[in-house]
Amino acid sequence: MLAKYVARRFFASIVVVLGVTLITLVLMDRTRGTYVPGIDLNPSLRPDDIARLRADLGLDRPFYVWYLTWIWGVLHGDFGRSMIDGSTVMSHILDRLPNTLELTGTAILIGVVIAIPVGVVGALRRGSKTDHTMTVVSVAGVAVPQFWMGLILILIFSVTLEQRGLPWLPSSGAYSAVNGGDFFDRLEHLILPATVLSFFYTSTWSRFIRSSMLEVLSQDYIRTARAKGMSERRVVYLHGLRNALIPLVTLIGLELPGLVSGGLVVEVVFGWPGIGKLAFERALQYDYTTVMGVTFFATMLVIAGNLLADLLYGVLDPRIRYT
Amino acid sequence: MTQPLLEVQDLHTVFSTKEGWVKAVDGVSFELHPGETLGIVGESGCGKSVTALSIMRLQRPGVIKSGKVMFKGEDLTKATEGEMRDIRGREIAMIFQDPMTSLNPVFRTGWQVAEPLRLHHGWNAKKSLDSAINMLSRVGIPSAASRAEDYPHQFSGGMRQRVMIAMGLTTTPEVLIADEPTTALDVTIQAQILDLLRHVNREFGTATILITHNLGVVAGMCKRIVVMYAGRIVEAGPTIDVFAHPKHPYTWALLRSIPRLDADRHEPLKPIEGLPPNLVDLPSGCAFHPRCAFKVDRCSRDVPTLQAVGDTQRSACWVTQSGTELKGA
Amino acid sequence: MIGPSRVAELDLPASGIETGAGRPAQSYWNESWERLRANRIGMIAGILILVFAVIAVMAPLFSAVLTHYQPQTIDLSATFRPPVSPHFLGTDELGRDTLTRLIWGARVTLGVALLTVAVSLTVGTAVGMLAGYYGGWLDDVLMRLVDTVLAIPAIFLFILMSILFRPTPVSLALIIASVGWGQVARLVRGEVLSVKQRDFILATRSIGARHLRLMLRHLLPNVLPVLIVAASLGVGQIILIEAALDFLGLGIQPPTASWGNMLTNAESYFFHSVWLVYFPGVMIFVTVLASNVFGNAIRDAFDPRLK
Repeated sequence: MLAKYVARRFFASIVVVLGVTLITLVLMDRTRGTYVPGIDLNPSLRPDDIARLRADLGLDRPFYVWYLTWIWGVLHGDFGRSMIDGSTVMSHILDRLPNTLELTGTAILIGVVIAIPVGVVGALRRGSKTDHTMTVVSVAGVAVPQFWMGLILILIFSVTLEQRGLPWLPSSGAYSAVNGGDFFDRLEHLILPATVLSFFYTSTWSRFIRSSMLEVLSQDYIRTARAKGMSERRVVYLHGLRNALIPLVTLIGLELPGLVSGGLVVEVVFGWPGIGKLAFERALQYDYTTVMGVTFFATMLVIAGNLLADLLYGVLDPRIRYT
Repeated sequence: MTQPLLEVQDLHTVFSTKEGWVKAVDGVSFELHPGETLGIVGESGCGKSVTALSIMRLQRPGVIKSGKVMFKGEDLTKATEGEMRDIRGREIAMIFQDPMTSLNPVFRTGWQVAEPLRLHHGWNAKKSLDSAINMLSRVGIPSAASRAEDYPHQFSGGMRQRVMIAMGLTTTPEVLIADEPTTALDVTIQAQILDLLRHVNREFGTATILITHNLGVVAGMCKRIVVMYAGRIVEAGPTIDVFAHPKHPYTWALLRSIPRLDADRHEPLKPIEGLPPNLVDLPSGCAFHPRCAFKVDRCSRDVPTLQAVGDTQRSACWVTQSGTELKGA
Repeated sequence: MIGPSRVAELDLPASGIETGAGRPAQSYWNESWERLRANRIGMIAGILILVFAVIAVMAPLFSAVLTHYQPQTIDLSATFRPPVSPHFLGTDELGRDTLTRLIWGARVTLGVALLTVAVSLTVGTAVGMLAGYYGGWLDDVLMRLVDTVLAIPAIFLFILMSILFRPTPVSLALIIASVGWGQVARLVRGEVLSVKQRDFILATRSIGARHLRLMLRHLLPNVLPVLIVAASLGVGQIILIEAALDFLGLGIQPPTASWGNMLTNAESYFFHSVWLVYFPGVMIFVTVLASNVFGNAIRDAFDPRLK
């Protein structure tokens, strides 16, 4: 049963992948005809040099040939080369991906760890002062622009603290070359950006858990559990929470795809050397191919992430497997 | 006459609403003897479920305002939460109306049925599961051992209700409260479940309280019944007697309203006139008087109390208490 | 226009059990409006947004009458002046008045947001309606298309598109809407699927109503509440995205003022003109907060059960 479900989801994903490749390349096509590679480096290129460069990059071939060549390349892990300096997109990705995952992974972790208790407490103490405060903070948390929050935190924890001669947190980079990048150094650099990034998750998920818990606790099977003589703790945490967490997994699953792209703004603000910052830097240089390649890679991750989330859901909620 | 196992004395349970206090249970008293089957009958909103929940102290957000629930010498309304937890599921078990929503969808049925054993008897997983499987087959679930590994949604409605019954009985409680156990089921399955409940009552000797709005259900199942209206008991007595000669206009009207196969084709149905009362703002005197075919002046003034009428029955009606027989078209 | 089919609209007396509150029955829209009005916080948020919108529309008037500055007037002799003297909120690195730029920035932000919502809703509703109504292969194709568009991480798509197409307020709105319509389409399709099952659709079909009429006059009004809720909840998100793109320099370009691009060089302001960091950010925060709160209020007004 589970296998069939997996297979179905997988095929749906393939269709989407093909669709994405098409969109990607249609967009790219816009640049193919006009861009002259290397013109920035050498404004006095002769026409036949230009022709040769374009031929090298395959820019002069008909669309379908280009499309197929590109697909072929992707299947071999070749996501293209930079238009600016010829470096392979893949090398950049391999270089930067771990950093991005470190950042967003930590943010999601923080989000889950804080949101669950906050949400449960909010549900159990519905209507109390604590609950109201948490709701207000959550609502506000979702409205704060990430980049601005980053700036403000840097202002407070980096600049001001340093000015006052207090121990301060670094404001950019993933580690400092001086300290050699040991665990604590990396941690220091990770705190601020991860906090900013997790704020959104914490705010949204805690409210979600709260309403999910409230809904679960009003279900008949909770009444049955109490009628069986269970302690309230067991009722809430074993019978209740287990059900309330299922939709949260879906939510987290929906975020998994965003694992690679969600941190872009934070990466830029904090100078975090990740995929997002890469795309941004390259975009400023009009390095279309790199941005394209990175986008496509990220999209593949999104699709894979969706598939993974579907699978997780199938494991957690036995009812799904049999539909 | 043996000592009653469970005795509800003048129970009052209320709910706070925007419009005021709803008197869901308004002075209810009855007894349950060991091994006996008692039916609590009444329409939706008459307070029968709340009465049962009050016995279990599961009536939240309602509040038990006054009254006693004597169980084996102890007043359950005064028991601590810890003592109640001990009693729930072990000495008094309750099963509910809709088995689909009353079973936890993410745990296997065997595990859920075995849970009271793990909790109350402290048995380990294997021992409790074996006992659960045994109980599942005793309530009529085929291939119980493999079915125990299945999840609730993999069972049909009738089977699920059997699972609930099994779950209620694993600890061989002395009292089983069944709140509308057949209402959510097909008619044919209803009959099977009632058979099962009867069988269980005979085999285990569990005193059973069956709550329902369906007179046909109590007819086949319960030795004694209690009829409720607007939070109060209006009639009580052996089922046979109550059905043969009802001593309260409400019961009388209920019985009369049941369509009969042997009635004349053109005879109109006889519903009970009027609407159920607003529990926040009950009519003065007898709650049923606005709809009563037999009412007299006193009925709108004084609240009738439950008194003996006839040899075996009790009724809360001024009219019948003064000797009048209920007859009419 | 035939609205949601409710017996109440046929003017029958409210029947049933006396509950003590014998109010006359009202239409769904009136009831929702009443509920919205009763929500104090929600109404305050809504009014706040309205105020901002008015300020945005009347920006030229405000800058002429209130601040006496233009948003793009450079005054290099008055760079980085702190608030209140005489520039009420200070000046930036080119001596431009902050308050004026904030007012004009509102124009950009709210304008882009409005356009984005309009485009997303229109395209999304059309697609969702067609997919849900006709079903079959059209549904499959359209939804795969939506899946595809939604699979691409939005921010990457935005970055890509802003270097491929020059970002003006209009093109920026279109870029952001290019992802937004997908979510709307899914939503509308879902609603249409559930409404389609209802008996009144069958009844209307049986009297010979044509497809377009069915879609516009019967399905659409029922889908509208969900759309309104989605729109009001989505506006905040759109504003945040737009501000982020501006901040990164990939959106509205200076000298046109937008709250986002006023913060592009914020890091350099830390040491001497910190207020320049606060004001635009606070404006964004307050606007998004108000629209979220109002969006929640609208959602609660349409479907109080969800509370």
